Amino acid sequence: MNTQHPIPDIISQHLAAYHIQTLAPAWIELTPQTDQIQSLGGAWQSYFTTNLELGSSITSACEYLQGMLPIQESFELPQVQMRNDKYTDILAFHDAQTQTDWLLFCDVTMSTLQLQEYQQAANELNLLKDQLNQTLGRFVGEEVAQRASNGTLQFNIAGERKVITTLFVDIRGFTPFNESHDAQDVMHALNQYMDCMLKPILEEAGMVDKIIGDGVMAVFGVLASDNNSADNAFVAAKSIQAKVKALNKQRGNEGQDQLGVGIGIATGDAVLGILGSHERRAFTAIGRHVNLAARLESNARIGEILLDEASVTALDNPPSFALVSLTLKGIGKTHAYSLTS
Amino acid sequence: MIQKKICILGAAGVGKTSLTAQFVFSKFSEKYLSSMGVKIDRKTVDVDGKQVNLMLWDIHGEEKYKKIPTSYLRGASGIMMVIDGTRPATLEMAQEILQRVETELGTIPHIYLLNKSDLTDAWSINDDDMQMLKNTGNPVFLTSAKTGDNVEASFLHLATALVTA
Repeated sequence: MNTQHPIPDIISQHLAAYHIQTLAPAWIELTPQTDQIQSLGGAWQSYFTTNLELGSSITSACEYLQGMLPIQESFELPQVQMRNDKYTDILAFHDAQTQTDWLLFCDVTMSTLQLQEYQQAANELNLLKDQLNQTLGRFVGEEVAQRASNGTLQFNIAGERKVITTLFVDIRGFTPFNESHDAQDVMHALNQYMDCMLKPILEEAGMVDKIIGDGVMAVFGVLASDNNSADNAFVAAKSIQAKVKALNKQRGNEGQDQLGVGIGIATGDAVLGILGSHERRAFTAIGRHVNLAARLESNARIGEILLDEASVTALDNPPSFALVSLTLKGIGKTHAYSLTS
Repeated sequence: MIQKKICILGAAGVGKTSLTAQFVFSKFSEKYLSSMGVKIDRKTVDVDGKQVNLMLWDIHGEEKYKKIPTSYLRGASGIMMVIDGTRPATLEMAQEILQRVETELGTIPHIYLLNKSDLTDAWSINDDDMQMLKNTGNPVFLTSAKTGDNVEASFLHLATALVTA
């Protein structure tokens, strides 16, 4: 296309006529540096319910212009929804050549309503996406939810080998508590303690692998994190014990039973993958250290965190641990590192 | 009569129109209708025996590719900054909007409304975020456009602050 030729007059005239008809403009000339109507024209009756008198103030008929006049510099108020549900673009400008101030009203109802349909669909999708992220985040943590939403969360169905840290935490004395209390009270207490266990795990980029009755299995290092997996798991474990301690204090003040938790942590090679059929799939981690973490947890006393050697070695700043010797079911004699709060 | 222009700002879907409708018409609709441009409502309130005409500019939600034109804020006396308590990202957006407004128009008195307080189970604004908002020195209200909780109180608070300033 040759763009050198100017638009022929006839085309310009048709374009102008077309747009003038579509926009149904109304214009008001203001006495310079005031808000008083000097002259008016166009389809002003369709924008104002009251009569506009020459010499009167435009802000009394159009009170939303209060504080905006006289015109100091040109401005535009797009898509103002009028009382008759029409959408109007309002342009205010000063013509330096003639030293006049102008208000121009253009009807943009049609184009705005068309845009609204797209806007509505886009906003609804965004709200739905946020809602899904939030629901997913409750189960797998914010980071996993974000990745799932962005499409960057992928697991190799055949299994991926990786060094991860596994954490098991379990409520001590839950079975007798369950047997001696009303089911409603048990559910309430379980939710309170679960809250103490799950939040720290999710905050440290851990993934809740399973909730097993009154216990939780979580894995760290599946997702890329700034810290190493052992550090994340250890920070989560300390936070769990602190939260349980605070909860017990509160429950004690309310005259309710107090329960404690024991935690086991182990680090090692694991195969991460998806188990299950096409209809029902679940993420899982399989490795020898997973069993070790479970055994350490079952040996941990109330308030105690037991770690294997690999986890302690991986910690960036390990605190002072007590070295303990344990005989673990299915594993035999082993050393572990204990921290009791 | 004293006139005050108040702009209701925030991300899309935080409940700006619902809050305004609850305050002006005592109405709430579960149906979400995306606002376009700006809708201006009025309500006269009594502040210490004085009648104050509030002009409420319910402005479309800010989005990544659809910024709020600051021309809407010309002549504004105050801002209601609305945040969806179930969507922390809307808090970040609120701060971005305020920053832009401040850069282009200077500081305008504002209060924060953490809306949807009835959705306790989905609530996602933590204590640190709350404290951060309070530390700005601007009032923070937990509101529910659905139940009407704190809606009138928050509008009246801003109106009073603007009249007595």
